[in-house]
Amino acid sequence: MRETMREKVSVNLIFDSKTGQVMPKHVGWQSRLHTITQVGLHHTYRSGRALIHVFAVTDGWMFFRLELNTETLHWLLTEVSDGHPD
Amino acid sequence: MGIPTNLLGAVGINHNPSAIMHIDLNSCFATIEQQSNPLLRGKRVAVAAYTTPNGCILAPSVEAKTLGIKCGMRVREGKHLCPDLIILPPDPGKYRFVNRKLLQLLRTYCPEVEIKSIDEMNLDFTHIPPLERELHHIAQEIKAAIRREIGEWMTVSIGIAPNRFLAKLAANLHKPDGLDEINAANLRTVLATMGLADLFGIKHRNEARLFRAGIYTPLDMLDASPQRLMAAFESIAGYYWHLRLRGWEIDDVDFGRKSIGHSYALKNQRVGTRELCRLLCKLTEKVGLRMRRLGYTARGVHLSFFYADKGHWNRRVMSPTPLFASKDIYQRVAQLYARAPKAKGLRSLAVSCYALIKEPLLQTSFLEDEQKKRSLTLALDTIAERWGDFAIAPALMMGMEDTILDRIAFGTVKDLDELIWQDETTHEPVFD
Repeated sequence: MRETMREKVSVNLIFDSKTGQVMPKHVGWQSRLHTITQVGLHHTYRSGRALIHVFAVTDGWMFFRLELNTETLHWLLTEVSDGHPD
Repeated sequence: MGIPTNLLGAVGINHNPSAIMHIDLNSCFATIEQQSNPLLRGKRVAVAAYTTPNGCILAPSVEAKTLGIKCGMRVREGKHLCPDLIILPPDPGKYRFVNRKLLQLLRTYCPEVEIKSIDEMNLDFTHIPPLERELHHIAQEIKAAIRREIGEWMTVSIGIAPNRFLAKLAANLHKPDGLDEINAANLRTVLATMGLADLFGIKHRNEARLFRAGIYTPLDMLDASPQRLMAAFESIAGYYWHLRLRGWEIDDVDFGRKSIGHSYALKNQRVGTRELCRLLCKLTEKVGLRMRRLGYTARGVHLSFFYADKGHWNRRVMSPTPLFASKDIYQRVAQLYARAPKAKGLRSLAVSCYALIKEPLLQTSFLEDEQKKRSLTLALDTIAERWGDFAIAPALMMGMEDTILDRIAFGTVKDLDELIWQDETTHEPVFD
């Protein structure tokens, strides 16, 4: 089941200075803290002047599409999915 | 006039070492979705233009293809073959991003990289010294680099040959994740395993032409004289096929950009005049914005309608002066629309600009009104850069945010300059 939305969420982002890797570590959504285990793809797009970083991540059970607006530094959850057909 | 056909003699098979590498991203859109969402990996996934039952499947995953799900099928048909098929809408921004990353990566291996489509690229090693181009070794490195730098789920099929046509054919021999070479040594063996329709560019009509000339297989075609092939195709195309199949380069031609257009498939065939005007207005705004971003003005405007009964209507108009403002283009579109037959059920519509002139709007005009219009158009485009496309749009377009979404065209990509434009307007990523 796949659902799209535009919901503000709390995200914990980790930067590893040794590997140069950046990874969202926790997502707070619907009163639950999800621990991210894998980043599938990280890409960027522009909405007007604002550069948006998109992190496609999973906690092993659920998929989250997280968008970081680099103008406001706010996070939006734009998609969740359990990887099963609708 | 051209060269008299009797002077076009037969040539032998090209024995030069292979210098072209064709890279094909396997099941491109679906694989990128599986890379993005690890929960979809190994599952039957298809990206469709629309997720509704009538939506057209654009890219089935490798797993879905094994069940016979193909590009061009309806979602309904796909679900019939595979009830647990996961249907996803396209995400063009993501696919362009991967295409750009792939382009950047390939340019570290070869300076001459051609984008053939969103999922196909050619590397031309002709001008690289032979000792430095052990192409099989480079191909293996490229495969590993793609998995390392773009994503572990991403696979490509690579074909190596003396020309572009055979390299593409080689890339198609084993999918996914193949690596094959077609050269003078194995050309006959490879062609012997194929039918005429397996050759890119030979479909039903060309196949019928060849059958009429007594040519039934690719090997027959290879052995046919240029005159016999020219007689079969009734044109110089026969001679080009003679060269192409023998490994000589005939397809390194860049035809450049001839037009810029957008089309839209209607959900409801009985759409009213006002709704149709709104759709045409949005298509025109998209065409105008894209044209100006690429630094063009245009003199020609073209409007096409495709009807439910498979009929087609199109008209074009030439303007005495170059057009750049979307409002002026829409005025021509509306004039053309007034002449279109209205009674029939519509399937899709397309607006395009042709007779393009490379002329950035920054260039000043002697005419005062023209200069004012240029300044206003530039100001509107600047607002679009800052706040997003259609931040200011004609009132006719109100409430159309979710209609005529961004899409990627199939076939040859003429948008390399567009990708570069997007690169130039994209700052260095803060993260990575």
